Amino acid sequence: MTYDASVRKDRDGHTAPSGDRPFWGRVANWGPYRAFSAILTASPRRQFIILAAFPILWLLTQHLGPMLQMLRVSLIDAYPVAPGTPQAFTFDNYMRFFGDRIFWQPFFRTLTFAAVFTFCTLILTYPVAYFLARHVSRKNQMLMLLLLLIPFWVGEIVRTYAIMILLGNTGAVNLALKWLGLIDRPIPFMYTSFSMGIGIVYLTALYMLLPLYSALEKLPQSMNEAAADLGAGAWTRFRRISLPLTIEGISSGCILVFLISTGFYATPVLLGGPSTTVFAETIAGFFHVAGDEWPTGAAFAVIMFAAALVITGVFQKVMNMLRKGDTK
Amino acid sequence: MTSPLVHIDGISKRFGDAVALENLSLDIAEGEFVTFLGPSGCGKSTTLRILGGFERPDTGRVILDGEDVTNQPPERRHVNMVFQDYALFPHMTVQQNISFALELKGMDKSAIKRRLDEITSFLELDGFGDRYPGQLSGGQRQRVALARALAPDPALLLLDEPLGALDAKLRGQVQRELKSIQRQTHKTFFFVTHDQEEALTMSDRIVVMNKGRVEQDGTPEDLYFHPQSRFVAEFIGETNLLSGKMRGVDGEAVVMDWFGQTLRGHAPSGVPTEGASITASVRLEKLGFHKARPDLPNAVQGHVVSKTFLGSRMAVDMVVDQTDGAKLRAFVDADTGHSIGDDPIWAAWDSDSMAVLRD
Amino acid sequence: MNRRVELNRGNRIFLACVYWAFVLYVFVPLILMIVMGFKDSKFIGFPIRSWTLDWYTGVFSDAEVLYTFGYSVVIAILSTLISVIVGTWIAVLLEGRKFWGRAVTFGLMVLPALVPGIISAIAFRIYARMLGIEPGMGAIIWAHAVHNVPFVTLVVMARLSTLPKSQIEAARDLGADPLMAFMRITLPYLVPAILGASVFCLLLSFDDFVRSFFLGGYEPTLPVLIFAMLRSGMSPEINAIATVALVLTAAIGIWAERFTRRANKESQT
Repeated sequence: MTYDASVRKDRDGHTAPSGDRPFWGRVANWGPYRAFSAILTASPRRQFIILAAFPILWLLTQHLGPMLQMLRVSLIDAYPVAPGTPQAFTFDNYMRFFGDRIFWQPFFRTLTFAAVFTFCTLILTYPVAYFLARHVSRKNQMLMLLLLLIPFWVGEIVRTYAIMILLGNTGAVNLALKWLGLIDRPIPFMYTSFSMGIGIVYLTALYMLLPLYSALEKLPQSMNEAAADLGAGAWTRFRRISLPLTIEGISSGCILVFLISTGFYATPVLLGGPSTTVFAETIAGFFHVAGDEWPTGAAFAVIMFAAALVITGVFQKVMNMLRKGDTK
Repeated sequence: MTSPLVHIDGISKRFGDAVALENLSLDIAEGEFVTFLGPSGCGKSTTLRILGGFERPDTGRVILDGEDVTNQPPERRHVNMVFQDYALFPHMTVQQNISFALELKGMDKSAIKRRLDEITSFLELDGFGDRYPGQLSGGQRQRVALARALAPDPALLLLDEPLGALDAKLRGQVQRELKSIQRQTHKTFFFVTHDQEEALTMSDRIVVMNKGRVEQDGTPEDLYFHPQSRFVAEFIGETNLLSGKMRGVDGEAVVMDWFGQTLRGHAPSGVPTEGASITASVRLEKLGFHKARPDLPNAVQGHVVSKTFLGSRMAVDMVVDQTDGAKLRAFVDADTGHSIGDDPIWAAWDSDSMAVLRD
Repeated sequence: MNRRVELNRGNRIFLACVYWAFVLYVFVPLILMIVMGFKDSKFIGFPIRSWTLDWYTGVFSDAEVLYTFGYSVVIAILSTLISVIVGTWIAVLLEGRKFWGRAVTFGLMVLPALVPGIISAIAFRIYARMLGIEPGMGAIIWAHAVHNVPFVTLVVMARLSTLPKSQIEAARDLGADPLMAFMRITLPYLVPAILGASVFCLLLSFDDFVRSFFLGGYEPTLPVLIFAMLRSGMSPEINAIATVALVLTAAIGIWAERFTRRANKESQT
């Protein structure tokens, strides 16, 4: 129970014999480490530069770079550029898009499909999220959410294939309908916009469910109870309270699902037919060839990305206005 | 005392538009238990963080042990801190927490072991070495935090409201422990709190802060009985405030006029000019009740309006006659309290018990 | 009052039905696919009259399938390593730090996660050619690594934002320089988030089709192999391969979910 200030003598640590130090003690007092640390901590400014240099470089070259290069390639007349010939700047690649209905038809189809599928996903998952967030006890919520997460760890191709088996002419749905005596001959679900829709909603549902769930979960239960005490029915409560307060979750879920839906390639190829060609297939077509069609493909990709960004941007604006209008 | 351990030289600090500290200068001697006391936002925590090296002052210098440390990062100062939330490392055992600083100093395993044993037995933490902070009670965590900060033998120990998280019962015990630890180690403690009782119990010296400035700097008794400003008088303990006019000086005493009555007090913060409006403070326990006018410099007549039983003592409220209903409050022991009836009564106090305040 | 209670219960039952219908929707296709892998016939479809394990033995003795499996796993592991290091670094830069251009930096960080799949794939394809990266393993690893960075950064930032500031200050106070404080306090605190993000990246990479398809050379990854097989017709062999992939990914996913949850709970005490 006595206090001895002996440590003070070797406060700097240098007087201690450097025999048997613990691991971190050896690191901290190792010459190269000290030198590096001295460089690092010389000034807060230098510390920040060392911390920020690599991420900034990465973001510019790896995140922004591919997009910029795509934009550049979309604006030149030939790619790859033959050595010796100057590359010419041109808008021809973009003009090709408007010239042929074989190009703009899949484009508008893709946007329409994406919008419709996004809406279907919203309608399907909102009640699920609502049920989980409002009618299930905290403890079970996590379990029941986890149950829904499991299939979503499975890849796009495997799940697309599963839908093919479900909807095929000899698939489970047709078998069940036949067995129930509702049909004599199988309904050709496959290779239609219907099968594509089922598949895409299946693939994107989670990206809608999670934002909706976290928005609904944040709603205080007391608000609903207060409204119920004032005599509001379930529908009114939903329309006047839950819906306006979850608009943020709805809009971020919809934007995410819309962007993902426009980008599907394998699923439309496997589940769709000739009458449901999407723009992703059109774009991909230019990349199967050796390379001279790349500028057109790049231009089409730029058109599609720009369109998707404009649509989601306008959508978000509208949703924001709706939200503000409701809180007035 | 040759030179102070800590010399704070005119430091100021702003956060955006808010002034946290304004031209603070202060010396702290080695072995002192100094408490910075004040409401939240008064600048006490900023001072602590500047001493710890977590903030840099906009102007001014901090000299520690003769060395200018104003721009030194925390890891280069011989200063350690007990954090408000203790900030124990949750993924390290008690032992690893305490030896964290010792390892970084480059001490040998055997030396670390010796120091660890010494500090754990000193703070009665034997047997907890292999536990994780999550497995300890609030009081134990507080002691581990103290052990961790004391282990590297800092020149100055900073304590940032370390008792705030403890329940009231434990707090009293820990206050006594802290004080005795400080005495045994002869360490300089820089303690920050908003709890005036805590400050009075433990400190050798209290610095009362308000709006980034020092209101008063002195011993606990000094601050309690001779507050210089209205802020200090109200912040520390309970007091009677009497507003009147300055009359003049009579020997050692300051004479004031209060509803036509002449009262005598002292002025620790300097004598006000004649005719000025002034406020004086009289502590509740300095008021005495008398059936007849006593032979004291200050005596007023009135009658008791309420009595509140507080256990060991009683609070008595009286309305003073010939005023606009001004009230005085006093602490008396329970027996005296019971003996006071409805008859008019005299309240009296010494001129030394009444401090004329700076506003 | 009674009517309202009844109405509420009606709602609740309706919503519960929707939930369980949704569970069926997400599970039934996968279960059917698994079941179909045990069918003793080359023809995919119902009804199933006899069962076999032949498709599985076939898959496990098929050198090409096994090679593809390993190829995909190696790609997943290497790309995850890159994503985790870079993603964590960016998270440390962005979280709780104010600097000029932070909003733009944040936007750039999430960009790869927001670009629709096909566009991301061809942008990487074009960029790879500019950098002189040949289609193949290296190109796929690079594309997966870049694409997965935002997921790591977002998860790590979320965790980092819950680290009390006093932890780092305490470490500094006790003699640790900023780098030492990072290694001994911040990094251990981030471990659950980093592990969780790693598993997520592994799954994203292992499951990815579109980037692997456009950046791949002659050797396919597993999803690309399944896609190619599907284009020439459905067969129970595909079911067997897909089922193995499914069981693996779902098992890793569940394990990671449990692990991160437990770690989060522990660090809260």
